Amino acid sequence: EEHIKMKQKKVVEVDPAEAEEFERELRALMQESIDSRKLEMRARPTLNMMIPMNLFEGSKDHGRITDGESGDEVPDEQGGNSVRFRVLVKKGNKQQTKQLYIPRDSSLVQSTKQKEAAELEE
Amino acid sequence: DDPGDDDIHEFSKRDLPEHACKYCGIHNPACIVRCNVPSCRKWFCNSRGNTSGSHIVNHLVRAKHKEVCLHKDSPLGETILECYNCGCRNVFLLGFIPAKSESVVVLLCREPCLSVNGLKDMNWDLSSWLPLIDDRCFLEWLVKVPSEQEQLRARQISAQQINKVEELWKTSPDATLEDLEKPGVDDEPQPVALKYEDAYQYQNVFGPLVKLEADYDKMMKESQSKDNITVRWDIGLNKKRVAYFVFPKEDNELRLVPGDELRLRYPGDSTHSAWQSVGHVIKLTAQEEVALELRASQGVPTDVNHNFSVDFVWKSTSFDRMQAAMKTFAVDETSVSGYIYHRLLGHEVELQTVRNTLPRRFGAPGLPELNASQVYAVKSVLQKPVSLIQGPPGTGKTVTSAAIVYHLAKQGQGQVLVCAPSNVAVDQLAEKISATGLKVVRLCAKSREAVSSPVEHLTLHYQVRHLDTSDKSELHKLQLLKDEQGELSSADEKKYKALKRATEREIAQSADVICCTCVGAGDPRLSNFRFRQVLIDESTQATEPECSIPLVLGCKQVVLVGDHCQLGPVIMCKKAARAGLSQSLFERLVLLGVKPIRLQVQYRMHPCLSEFPSNSFYEGTLQNGVTMHQRLSQGIDFPWPVPNRPMFFYVQMGQEEISASGTSYLNRTESANVEKIVTTFLKSGVNPSQIGVITPYEGQRAYIVNHMARNGSLRQQLYKEIEVASVDSFQGREKDYIILSCVRSNEHQGIGFLNDPRRLNVALTRARYGIVILGNPKVLSKQPLWNSLLTHYKEHECLVEGALNNLKQSMVQFQKPKKIYN
Ligand SMILES: [Zn+2]
Ligand SMILES: [Zn+2]
Ligand SMILES: [Zn+2]
Repeated sequence: EEHIKMKQKKVVEVDPAEAEEFERELRALMQESIDSRKLEMRARPTLNMMIPMNLFEGSKDHGRITDGESGDEVPDEQGGNSVRFRVLVKKGNKQQTKQLYIPRDSSLVQSTKQKEAAELEE
Repeated sequence: DDPGDDDIHEFSKRDLPEHACKYCGIHNPACIVRCNVPSCRKWFCNSRGNTSGSHIVNHLVRAKHKEVCLHKDSPLGETILECYNCGCRNVFLLGFIPAKSESVVVLLCREPCLSVNGLKDMNWDLSSWLPLIDDRCFLEWLVKVPSEQEQLRARQISAQQINKVEELWKTSPDATLEDLEKPGVDDEPQPVALKYEDAYQYQNVFGPLVKLEADYDKMMKESQSKDNITVRWDIGLNKKRVAYFVFPKEDNELRLVPGDELRLRYPGDSTHSAWQSVGHVIKLTAQEEVALELRASQGVPTDVNHNFSVDFVWKSTSFDRMQAAMKTFAVDETSVSGYIYHRLLGHEVELQTVRNTLPRRFGAPGLPELNASQVYAVKSVLQKPVSLIQGPPGTGKTVTSAAIVYHLAKQGQGQVLVCAPSNVAVDQLAEKISATGLKVVRLCAKSREAVSSPVEHLTLHYQVRHLDTSDKSELHKLQLLKDEQGELSSADEKKYKALKRATEREIAQSADVICCTCVGAGDPRLSNFRFRQVLIDESTQATEPECSIPLVLGCKQVVLVGDHCQLGPVIMCKKAARAGLSQSLFERLVLLGVKPIRLQVQYRMHPCLSEFPSNSFYEGTLQNGVTMHQRLSQGIDFPWPVPNRPMFFYVQMGQEEISASGTSYLNRTESANVEKIVTTFLKSGVNPSQIGVITPYEGQRAYIVNHMARNGSLRQQLYKEIEVASVDSFQGREKDYIILSCVRSNEHQGIGFLNDPRRLNVALTRARYGIVILGNPKVLSKQPLWNSLLTHYKEHECLVEGALNNLKQSMVQFQKPKKIYN
């Protein structure tokens, strides 16, 4: 592996006017997205948000040894810790889970960990 | 260079993969996403580069596109990002929510799914909804941000460029960033720079310059058709037809060289039908005849000698290889090491050293002992990834280079690649390296295989023919058959080519060192080879794009040898030269602060001949490795004005004239005096082979040759054996005695070619024993460097006039030098 040290760390100079203009466009796009959905989706969608527990159990049984379990902490490249999560996605009508590492300090992880801790105390 | 007809896929140029970020080229699957809008489908990375938002977010905002898909090799696999509940794909609305108890997340849209009441009772923690796009960047744990090294090596695109290219894509979706910078037809090309943001910018600057030069070269060569050529016929050792003829050159622009391709035509007559054939120049004879080996031997009208025509067949190979090398440099991150990449582009990186155990002695077997500055050069080079060696005239740079290559090869880093822009230099170096006992393969262009070479036994084509093992007998049988019949059946031809290719590969792979020209390094026969260590000799005579060809084969350590105080690369197209194509990589690195290691002891010139060049071009650092006594010519009785000082400036007042072609100059008085000096040398016992006549002008060169042939008072043959050449073509060579004819003598036009200090340096440093300069001091003294040369000669009482047998000190007045070269 090759390591090169640049003498001067590259200072990225972002033109403030450009940044501001970009931010404006981004917000406009967000707002427009929200507004259009509000109009479009008069009828609320039906909810299908059950967590398919069978998927997790299945993967626990047949998962490779190296896979570990959801919720395991592993050191990440940046030197912090990451937590193994599963992302639930739909492929057509089929549900699937995929593995994903989320940094420990992400609000997502914090929230889950807190809930887990609270449950344990009960 | 000719790839030969069996290398059709010569330029399968390296391209970025389809999934490379359309802005910056980064293509790590974990770092990129595809815009999922059907009319777009472009890939972008999640790095901010020089902008406030990441590239993908920049694109989505500027193009008002809203859907994306992950790469199949990314951690989540090929996945379109969409709301788990409603399938909404608008990334500006999507965010993750975690489950309350399990370590599970889903993507959910903000509107309406996040606000649906029914969800509240379920297992999801809606309060922790985390938008997919945060701080103008995709969540870094979903789409990774490329590493700092990856970003540094990527194309550095600005916000303005992004806006421009997005604008362009609205009308032409397949446009590239290069299209933004394409100059208009009449625009001056962008000049070369000292530093480049990235290799794409580098390519954008040099690409158009190489194209300009290629177009000019093509136009010029194709306009060189000549009629009424008289041919004499011969048969070569390989039984091929060879045509000899004189190819008159009208100016000093086009020089035929061995390997050039020409077409010979006969219009036909009452007994012969029209005929034509293409062939390669295999040599240029001393009588200025071209020897052309014809490709086809059938139907050649060998009973006719007159009324032939000759055309130049232009090949784009060398230019194509330069363009391909620059592209590879940009898109293939393994083409050179990261360190070399940044150094070549002029980026400020902390200096690296190469960790190697240094050899105990720095010389090499089979080579002369090295002097202190040579040892120092070898030692420093071995410890540095990038080094420059400056070899002033006669300082033994070939021996030093060979010693360096010897030690590089002994480090076990794989094969060493050794290049130079000219074939002559490659041959010399190959010979010296081979003398150290290393296994050397000299790779020649196919078009030059018939050109004789002093290192023929080292050439790949020779080694293929002479490899003496039983398993090659099939190849030899076919080779013999092909030689005898001229061609093979198509089945045999196929077999022959496959066998030949395999054998070539085998031999090349077993070598310690591969030697070829810079352009030759782009030969398809080397396309699968990697070279970590590369040495380029005469690198100051190569253009940057030419130099890049050998470098992009995996280079980690590069040694550039040359002398930026001598002449640089020849650029025909003035526009390209003005824009800086004539500046070598060596020179640019010097300007960037890389200090060349200078070889300091010269073994060529009589000490009194090296004095002025040392002081004027090398800050007085050139030391003499030869003594006056070693440069005393025993028994030669020549009228040097100062005994023991074999030099003089012979004052000439004759006028310059424009040559018959209208593109060059000659000077009759100087020519007449050159002949007299030559005759005096010959009479005093000097051999013709010891004398070289040099002049900056082709018109004068041709005139001197003719004048000596007609007016020389000694045997004609003696004058024919004397080499009369241009100063430029004499770079890298030496003679015992040099006669320099300056030609220019006018009131107001200036001194043209003579203005270049590097040309003067070359002219003054070719002689070993003695030099005579003929010129007009009144005209030359206007230029500061010539003025100091004239002053130097005058101070040593070597500025003379009058008859050769009665030379007298000249009292001619010098002009005040102008401050600026004109
Ligand atoms: Zn798009
Ligand atoms: Zn990018
Ligand atoms: Zn939704």
